[in-house]
Amino acid sequence: MTALTTAQPGPAAPAGRLAAIAAAPGAAACASTDTSTDTSTDTSASPAAGQTGWTRRARPLLGTLVDIGLAPGSPAPAAALAAAFDAIAALQAQLSRFDPASAISRFQHLPAGASLALPASAQRVLHAAQALQQASGGLFDISLGSGPAGWRCQAGRLHKLQPGVQLDLGGIAKGFAVDAAVRALQRAGCPAGWVNAGGDVRVYGDVALPLHLRDAQHGGVRPLGQLRGGALASSHFAPGSRSQLHQLAPALPAGSARASCQSSHPDANPQPGWQVSVAAPRALWADALTKIVAASRDVQHPLLARLGASAWLHGG
Amino acid sequence: MQAHISLGALALLPASVFAVDYLSAEQAAQAMFGEADRVEQRELVLDASQLQALAAAGVAGRSARWPVRLAWQGKRLLGLVVVDAVVGKFELISYAVGIAADGSIKQVEILSYRESHGHEIRLPAWRRQFVGKTVAAPLRVGEDIANISGATLSCNHVTDGVRRIVAVVDLARRSGQLPA
Repeated sequence: MTALTTAQPGPAAPAGRLAAIAAAPGAAACASTDTSTDTSTDTSASPAAGQTGWTRRARPLLGTLVDIGLAPGSPAPAAALAAAFDAIAALQAQLSRFDPASAISRFQHLPAGASLALPASAQRVLHAAQALQQASGGLFDISLGSGPAGWRCQAGRLHKLQPGVQLDLGGIAKGFAVDAAVRALQRAGCPAGWVNAGGDVRVYGDVALPLHLRDAQHGGVRPLGQLRGGALASSHFAPGSRSQLHQLAPALPAGSARASCQSSHPDANPQPGWQVSVAAPRALWADALTKIVAASRDVQHPLLARLGASAWLHGG
Repeated sequence: MQAHISLGALALLPASVFAVDYLSAEQAAQAMFGEADRVEQRELVLDASQLQALAAAGVAGRSARWPVRLAWQGKRLLGLVVVDAVVGKFELISYAVGIAADGSIKQVEILSYRESHGHEIRLPAWRRQFVGKTVAAPLRVGEDIANISGATLSCNHVTDGVRRIVAVVDLARRSGQLPA
């Protein structure tokens, strides 16, 4: 299982176990969906309060809006923003199944037994997907059930081991892209900032980022809390929503359920309108872990602690 | 690195309006065509046959009149910027599309984003406040750095809008309203 700690090398990933997330005393591990209770949101002073001069831009990427904020004092903010957006666009071109030239699209058309060369970043995300699949006992499955054992990323190449295997990185690529954009901002010398790819958000530096949660059923947003030095991802599961469980987790033996995005089985959700939020040191982990928590319905899934993550299950 | 999140009420508070202003149309034009020495505002007007051509191409024109900003460097047209807004299920997004002189998309920037309760967005008064809204206000403190998580917002409306704008500009170029 060491693959999980080596799949995503980087300064923020100490071997073995990532830093723990400190949840506020009032934070519930499994929030009630009782909407009659009024609980005040943590509005304590943060470094953000009282500051001005944040640079904020958004572009349509990854099928959603990508929002990037740079702290005051960032050198050459325009160049930093361009580098971060370019990093995301480059990953989209490599990983999107909607781009016919992407490695993922080309893989779909490979015959069994064939392989294709992967760019370095595509190798990293596929190694991470491989490691998550193993560590979750198959709950995380980028083949969406089309052949969990039918692909392998090895020695810089993506191998197709079975005919008919299709890959979809929808459950991991946004988080991976957010991490890449954060690295671009850090390389550009920005002391603090955030990247939010449609809800997969990571913040770094000395800032507490206020977060709101979208109500996908009724519209509007509600204050959620503040995020500092880490990532948060949320997946909403309901008939017709973007995130769907590939198979109904509770009805299957442990270890055989699989989570994915954009499955063709929208009716497989356990109940309409519920969300999973995961906070983790990296956006990739947060993104992927929402799928694992959703599939297992276990906000105490052992992988969470291993990756320094916390999960919340809530209605909406 | 330690990641901290303090979660307060989870989906317990009433829905509120969430709004971000990123850039004004002028700032977007400047960001896309920084080397321009002059920006000319013009209106492209599509006639009935052109609107039909758009509809036939699968990008219904929606409007016959399209204000554009032409970015000039001396006598050379560098490109143009078109500002548009799209309304989604719960959100209103205005955006700018920069199109190079050869007709290719140079850049797409979101100008403003507003998300509100579903029933509010259908009220004309709520919509009216965005008509002609200038988004030059600097980033405000606190609320303005807030971010949204939760169900992922689709940008299909923006993507469709960009496609429509590219088609409109292409028609205008071919009909001689813009330098080809």
